[in-house]
Amino acid sequence: MKLRRKPKTPAPDPNVLLPPEGVPLHLAVAGMGARFGAQITDILITVIGAAALVILLAVLDLTSPQTLWAISALLFFILRIPYYVLTELAWNGQTIGKRIMKIKVVSRDGLSLSAHALVVRNLMKEAEIFLPGTLLLTLDAASPIGSLIALGWIIGTLAVPLTNKRRQRLGDMIAGTYVIDLPTPILLKDLAQSVPKPVKDKFVFLSHQLDHYGALELQTLEDLLRAQENRPSMQTDTRNKATLDSVIEKIRNKIGYADKVDPMDRVAFLRAFYNAQRAHLEKKQLFGERRQDKFHANQDEKN
Amino acid sequence: MEEPTDLIRSARFRKEREDDWLRLESLATKAETQGLRRMSFGEARDLAALYREATTSLAIAREISLDKGLLLYLEALTARAYLSVYAPQESARGVIARFLRKSGPVAMRKSWFFVLLGFLSMGLGGLAGYLLYFDDPAWFYVLMPGDLAGGRNPDATTGYLRSVIYDDDPSASGLGAFATYLFSHNTRIAIFVFGLGVFLCAPAILLTFYNGLIIGVFVALHVDRGLGWDLFGWLSIHGVTELSAICIACGGGIQLGAAVLFPGQNTRAEALRIAGRDAAKLAIVAALMLVAAALIEGFGRQLIQDRNARLIIGWTIGGLWLMWFVRTGRAQS
Repeated sequence: MKLRRKPKTPAPDPNVLLPPEGVPLHLAVAGMGARFGAQITDILITVIGAAALVILLAVLDLTSPQTLWAISALLFFILRIPYYVLTELAWNGQTIGKRIMKIKVVSRDGLSLSAHALVVRNLMKEAEIFLPGTLLLTLDAASPIGSLIALGWIIGTLAVPLTNKRRQRLGDMIAGTYVIDLPTPILLKDLAQSVPKPVKDKFVFLSHQLDHYGALELQTLEDLLRAQENRPSMQTDTRNKATLDSVIEKIRNKIGYADKVDPMDRVAFLRAFYNAQRAHLEKKQLFGERRQDKFHANQDEKN
Repeated sequence: MEEPTDLIRSARFRKEREDDWLRLESLATKAETQGLRRMSFGEARDLAALYREATTSLAIAREISLDKGLLLYLEALTARAYLSVYAPQESARGVIARFLRKSGPVAMRKSWFFVLLGFLSMGLGGLAGYLLYFDDPAWFYVLMPGDLAGGRNPDATTGYLRSVIYDDDPSASGLGAFATYLFSHNTRIAIFVFGLGVFLCAPAILLTFYNGLIIGVFVALHVDRGLGWDLFGWLSIHGVTELSAICIACGGGIQLGAAVLFPGQNTRAEALRIAGRDAAKLAIVAALMLVAAALIEGFGRQLIQDRNARLIIGWTIGGLWLMWFVRTGRAQS
């Protein structure tokens, strides 16, 4: 008899979604804060909508005031589910609240959201969020058992999203959906594109000098250079100059670059180095050698 | 045209495709703000084509480029385009029509067993309540929540009971509000019963059973006073629809609970997902019936005071529901 459990297969990254095209996309799972904010916004919208209708009914004087109260409770209920389902159907997984918070429902299997999935996740919202919510509002001290049950329920349903990596509610699980942060594409300038010819000739790096660093260092340097570009005022900042100097010193020592770098050419040197390093690493990568970071040499030995 | 040959490979790769990416970005933004429906044919076609191009670009860039800025951009752009290409293609009207014509009744037929269980739990509850009352009328006070009966209890006079059933002026007696209260009570029960099913079957069955008990003692009280048929009429006109809705909601709940309890070959989450396909439809059917019941109740119960008319209307509507469940959406054979 085997007592040991089977070794688990590594869990798939929760932030990766596989569309039908087969190229995995990174879509970050939305945080609980954003979802809570969206929920509050949507509740406010539906309450205001129901209130407007009730006021309309009151003005038109169609029913007696006693029934009006019951009708308003009913209206809020009748408006709510269709509101969520229809907005998410029309705006591809976004209610107004979700649009404001820039989050979105997606289908776990990478296909488009089906009407069924949207209905299910919003029907379950009724049982998960609104029912315990109204229970909480109607609690009284006279029935401690009821209060405890309601409290237990609320804690239970709120805890469910915290127990799984994709932060799925029960409704999300049944519907096979989860909520993501909408990514914003920002196209930055290509650093390797804008190098004037004379600068390129000024700094020449040899092949063995470029063998020290890997992708991590290259991209860190990229961040540093982008920061220089975005804020021109940094050029004159003395602390920034000191940082650049120390970075240049580190690089020069590491790769054995003998020539001193002129203080005026700090950024130009780094850019030239970035260009050369990137070209070198990308060439290596094309031939099947990915260098994660500067420890790549050690890792090769280990493997 | 002079190609800048001194560019490194990944920079050339980017330069060649950049214009397409920017166009895709503007198309995706347009699709998000205006909807695919409003876009021209050419734009929609370009969106799909450029999206596929961008996925290829992303796959290549991951292999050949170390430009973090570019990778992040392509990642986000492809994701945005993916989300607007794979948007739901159905219109709200189409979804509703499909549900009414086909998927709703089909789901009802597929899960007939669970619906039957729902009806059984209420029916048995009713029977138990009825017998208990005749055993000892004091059960009435045990089982009936005070505010639900509207003053109708074993101490009330037969005349009062009759006046509630045949009420000529609902607004004067405040019974209109009571009826609405009863309705929202029943709606809440239906949601409760469905929701509780997920957390295992027992609470849903118990709650339905308890509701059956309430109805049972209530009916017994009236039968005891010789008002059996009159109450039957009063209950029929909306109750056929409304109580069926509760039973159907209970059936949906049991279906979910059964998936959690007996997942079979699947994992529990998977079983829940499969059961959810039909259970959700049962819940919508129940919700539709509840709304219909509200309309009937709002107008019918107090307007129509004749017992036979009440019976006919109530059961005709019940028959129509049954027709919908049984006959609609069958494949032509």
